Amino acid sequence: MPHEPDLQPDPQPDPHPELRAPSQRVSPRARTMWTVETLLEGLVSAALVVVVVALVDAVDVTWWGVALLGAAVAAYALVVPRWRWAVHRWEVTDTAVYTQVGWWSLEQRVAPLSRIQTVDHVVGPVERAFGLATVTVTTASAAGALRVSGLERDRARRLVDELTLRAEAAGGDAT
Amino acid sequence: MSEAEPEPVPEPVVGPVVGPVVEPVVEPVVAESEWQRLDPRMLLVHPVKEVVRFLPVLVGVWFAGSAAGSSWQLLGVAVPVALGVLRYLTTSFRVAHDRVELRRGLLERHVLSTPVDRVRTVDLTASPVHRVLGLTTMRVGTGTASSDDDEQLDLDGLPVERARRLRDELLRAAPSAPGAEGDLDAEGRSRPPAPAAPPVLVLDAAWARYAPLTSAGLVLAAAVVGGGLQLLQVLGGLDRIDVDGVARDVATAPLLALAAVAVGLGLVVVAGLAVVAYLVSYWGFSLRRSGASWHLVRGLLTTRETSLDDARLHGVTLTEPVGLRLAGGAGLSAIVTGLRGEGGAASALLTPPAPYAVVAATAAAVVGDAEPVMGPLVPHGPQATRRAWVRACAPALVLAGLVVAVVLADLPGTSSWLLPLVPALLVGGALLGRDRARSLGHALTARHLVARRGSVVRRRDVLAREAVIGWTLRATWLQRRAGLCSLVATTAGGRQSVVVADVPRALAVRLAASARPGLLEQFLLVDESHG
Repeated sequence: MPHEPDLQPDPQPDPHPELRAPSQRVSPRARTMWTVETLLEGLVSAALVVVVVALVDAVDVTWWGVALLGAAVAAYALVVPRWRWAVHRWEVTDTAVYTQVGWWSLEQRVAPLSRIQTVDHVVGPVERAFGLATVTVTTASAAGALRVSGLERDRARRLVDELTLRAEAAGGDAT
Repeated sequence: MSEAEPEPVPEPVVGPVVGPVVEPVVEPVVAESEWQRLDPRMLLVHPVKEVVRFLPVLVGVWFAGSAAGSSWQLLGVAVPVALGVLRYLTTSFRVAHDRVELRRGLLERHVLSTPVDRVRTVDLTASPVHRVLGLTTMRVGTGTASSDDDEQLDLDGLPVERARRLRDELLRAAPSAPGAEGDLDAEGRSRPPAPAAPPVLVLDAAWARYAPLTSAGLVLAAAVVGGGLQLLQVLGGLDRIDVDGVARDVATAPLLALAAVAVGLGLVVVAGLAVVAYLVSYWGFSLRRSGASWHLVRGLLTTRETSLDDARLHGVTLTEPVGLRLAGGAGLSAIVTGLRGEGGAASALLTPPAPYAVVAATAAAVVGDAEPVMGPLVPHGPQATRRAWVRACAPALVLAGLVVAVVLADLPGTSSWLLPLVPALLVGGALLGRDRARSLGHALTARHLVARRGSVVRRRDVLAREAVIGWTLRATWLQRRAGLCSLVATTAGGRQSVVVADVPRALAVRLAASARPGLLEQFLLVDESHG
């Protein structure tokens, strides 16, 4: 692309190139928020399972069954949000946005600023309680949205402004 | 709360080509710049359509009317006709100020407007009713993400010639020569304007032999076989209730034969139907290039002319469903912005199911380079092969284990005749795994990124490198352990992305970095000791 100058022409390409992780972490409060969310979701699902089992006569609800289920939910809620937080990173440079999300399945996304179409700033009900927000960057591809969740509210606001400005500076018709 | 670059304002940098649309340079354009109605002959089309749509209501009204009196019946016909007339009177369009605008609706006024330089594709569809009246429906594709029918810019009902001229102007193709009207073929259809380039592809009726092997054909056949089996089960079930002992054995034998014959006949009928559908859909198929776009014509009853702006054609996909592949056939579709939804998916096709060599040659012509279509692919190595085998064989093994367990447990309703399923499952899994591993591959040519994968439906995607608008590297924990990942190139057209599946991590990063220089380099580890 003409508007994306080759920053570091590499005369001898590394035979085993690897992407580094994006530089910015999200708010530590995101960890707590995800833990709460996961715990609530897990408890609701577990309660549903217990109710269904109780209604079906074939199997009895036993105390150790309930305890096992509870332990599984607790372990999941303890491990997964921490894992997610450790992975979850983002970075914006002069030419690109770069995000890394996931836990079991890990996803790294890169989009050039010149191809950005919209930048969304969304605050969900749970996020509102924690003072956090999500920034979503979309490109012309339906498969290409980049999402940074768990940002502190004003940091998210600043990121939106920054992206808007830089996307304008980068030019291009975003298609 | 969404900000930032909403719809970028159409910039005048596109050049003087936009000019002809506003300035009265070419004669017909002046006519389009005022608000105007569609062709009055639509007054005949709309009422017919409305009557068909209201048919259930009409039937009801008719019966109610014959009891109550004849005035109701009149109303039943008058309402649809009135609606048709209203629709005609309330719909108008214009091409002015660099925009195409469509205004419609009586109570809820609806104005659809799009900049001319956002027009990606123009599609002319003529149903039999339209054709009798010399009309056609023009659909202007703009690459909108909306699949809502109300958001479609459809000019339903333009005279064919006028629609063609308008299309050429919208696509900024060379304006038709003054003598264009004289250039008609036998059926009164004019040839696309501009140099009389020979078509890249013309339908050979013999290709209809592939029809029963396409995905659609296979689905039909499966439905017939499934229906046949169900019928057999019902008959068998009845049989079991009615008779017993020897009588049952005697009765089932002819029943089985009967069912086999029925299924066989069904398959022949399905094959015949598929061939007929193929011919109806692709009759007169031709693909040719004129000016800066590709023109595609097809259809026996409903004719369809699609024009794809060259600048928006980002690549092609060669598709080989397993049946078609075994018969040496393939299909080709375009990766193009401006065509979406179910109708869009159909009109992005560039060839009907045809012999692979023909399809590949067409793909090479459309892409403008044979290498991405026919060139060799880089295989993804032993880890990817292992993964393909495991992923295909593991479910087969689990299923086979279940079958064995069920038979051993002697559950009611099962018997040892299930056992032959076990080797079938295992062989099927192995074949699938082997084929998937062999399909995997990618390549990077001068202008294109190429990726191939799949077995039941094998796809070879050829995407222009400059059409890549982002990268996603995705890997599950298992993939990471095997040192693999899936590289996804996102794009604005077609299926929105091209996936290079199960590629070694380092290869993926290098591929992404060299396909779009200047984007990924800044995120690379600079550690030299890494390798």
